[in-house]
Amino acid sequence: MNLSTGLKALTRREILRFVRRPYNTFLPPLITNVLYFSVFGVILGARISDIGGVPYIQFILPGLAVLGAVSNAFENASFSIFHGRWNEYIHEALTSPMAYWEMVVAYVVSSALRGVLIGILIAVIGALFTPVRTLAHPFYAVAFLGVITTLFAAFGVIGGLVAEDFDHLTVLNQFILRPLVFFGGVFYSLDALDGLARTASYLNPMVYMVNGVRYGIIGVSDIEPDTALVVLSALTVVVLAIDVWLFQRGYGLTD
Amino acid sequence: MPPAIRTDDLVKEYGDVRALNGLSLSVPEGSFFGLLGPNGAGKTTFINTLVGLARKTSGTAEVFGHDVEDDYREARDAIGLAPQEYNVDRFFPIREVLMHKAGYHGVSDEEAAERAAEALETVGLGGKAETRFDWLSGGMKRRFMLARAMVTDPDLLILDEPTAGVDVELRHDLWEVIRGLNDDGTTILLTTHYIEEAERLCDEVAIIDSGQKVTVATPDDLTERGTDEVTLTLDAAPAATPTIDDDRVDRVTVDGSTLTLRASSGSEVVPVAVRQLEAAGHRVLDVDVARTSLEDVFVDITRTGGDATDGSSGDHEDSETQEVAP
Repeated sequence: MNLSTGLKALTRREILRFVRRPYNTFLPPLITNVLYFSVFGVILGARISDIGGVPYIQFILPGLAVLGAVSNAFENASFSIFHGRWNEYIHEALTSPMAYWEMVVAYVVSSALRGVLIGILIAVIGALFTPVRTLAHPFYAVAFLGVITTLFAAFGVIGGLVAEDFDHLTVLNQFILRPLVFFGGVFYSLDALDGLARTASYLNPMVYMVNGVRYGIIGVSDIEPDTALVVLSALTVVVLAIDVWLFQRGYGLTD
Repeated sequence: MPPAIRTDDLVKEYGDVRALNGLSLSVPEGSFFGLLGPNGAGKTTFINTLVGLARKTSGTAEVFGHDVEDDYREARDAIGLAPQEYNVDRFFPIREVLMHKAGYHGVSDEEAAERAAEALETVGLGGKAETRFDWLSGGMKRRFMLARAMVTDPDLLILDEPTAGVDVELRHDLWEVIRGLNDDGTTILLTTHYIEEAERLCDEVAIIDSGQKVTVATPDDLTERGTDEVTLTLDAAPAATPTIDDDRVDRVTVDGSTLTLRASSGSEVVPVAVRQLEAAGHRVLDVDVARTSLEDVFVDITRTGGDATDGSSGDHEDSETQEVAP
């Protein structure tokens, strides 16, 4: 038995699942973000003063890329696992000799890849509306995008295992993930907040993700990127370990 | 050489419900082994425990000597499973579903493609390779379940009701494929509600009920335990019911000139009965033996609790001299 063949097969299956459905995978974020950039960037953005020395439309570009990237990473992992459980075809992998960690890696890597692709797609759309053509700090842009999509894919694995109904997936995405993203500084700088609101914002992990990617793309950030990258990487490792532990225990998977 | 399956005092509980209640079973390598039992007997739970879809509460379970939890990768690599319920990936054409499944078992892309094509041809679905599972007919779906179980080239093929709901012709086609695999050395574990299926295919049959083993025997041995009906036509109606002095005879009834015996090993009782009847002055014109079917035995055993003659623990041990006759 070749260990890596199983991992490769499941990863490819997961990637093909979303790549072969472009109207479901790529078209919605494309249309949504054209609308975001048109309304918030062009129409409203013209009436909003520069933030951190950059025009508003440039300021929101990294945040929108993060919003699309983490949402897709989370949704892909949670939906794929939950749907597989719902229809029981996840048994095809579960009854195979693959190690539990290999299954987790396959789901996370494929979902993170989807998040990265959507993040890049949004950044490219944004570039059509703004003069951004180069990355201010390429290492940080790539590292933050990689880490946060992996983190949310890993969270998505937990969501997919915990959910008992499609309703639960909606709750996780719409009522937990999305508010965190919107209050994570996608559309505003923390300088716009004061007092409790500003302090509370520092407890929102999304603030560090948005600002990390923003620093990588346009060189502007409300936080210190190195510390944020280390903390987010550590958090990702912890969540991945939880994923593997849940698979080993058969949580949501076995009787 | 370890047996294909060995379980010892296997227990699986779902809350207060004990689905497997100390099940001890051994399935020899290369055998065609039947697992019979009424609905809720624990057959599917037993299978799920072997493949990792259910976690045992206690006891041991091994596949070719590999513990299903400690050495789960080796155990699962040896198993091909065709479950009763359809649990197929509906996102992909069936050819790719087979390739994925083979890939999960460590088969390279190229070989997986060959095996997928071969498995589909074997079950007569070669022309449907690019069709998704949802678009197959009911019979095709059953055939595909078998193809998916075969594609990993397992040493142990577990078939949970593989012919449920299919017509006679297809059932015979599937039997042929399964028998061919067994002839090539694959161990088969078959659960079925079609007693005829077990009778025709299996070397050995285990009957389980309430999560316990009731008995293990060959189909012939089991039918021997049943009660045959021997009909003897006499030249004239006897004045009184004749007596047949043989322990195997359970009951004698007379209807005109027809004498009916209920007896175990009916064929062996016939010469004894004929000899005694002729000695008593009767002339036997015709004899007919209606052999008990495995189905009759199964119904009797599962209704009465059976005889745990092969060491299973629990309530069934109390009925050691099981009364299979009504």
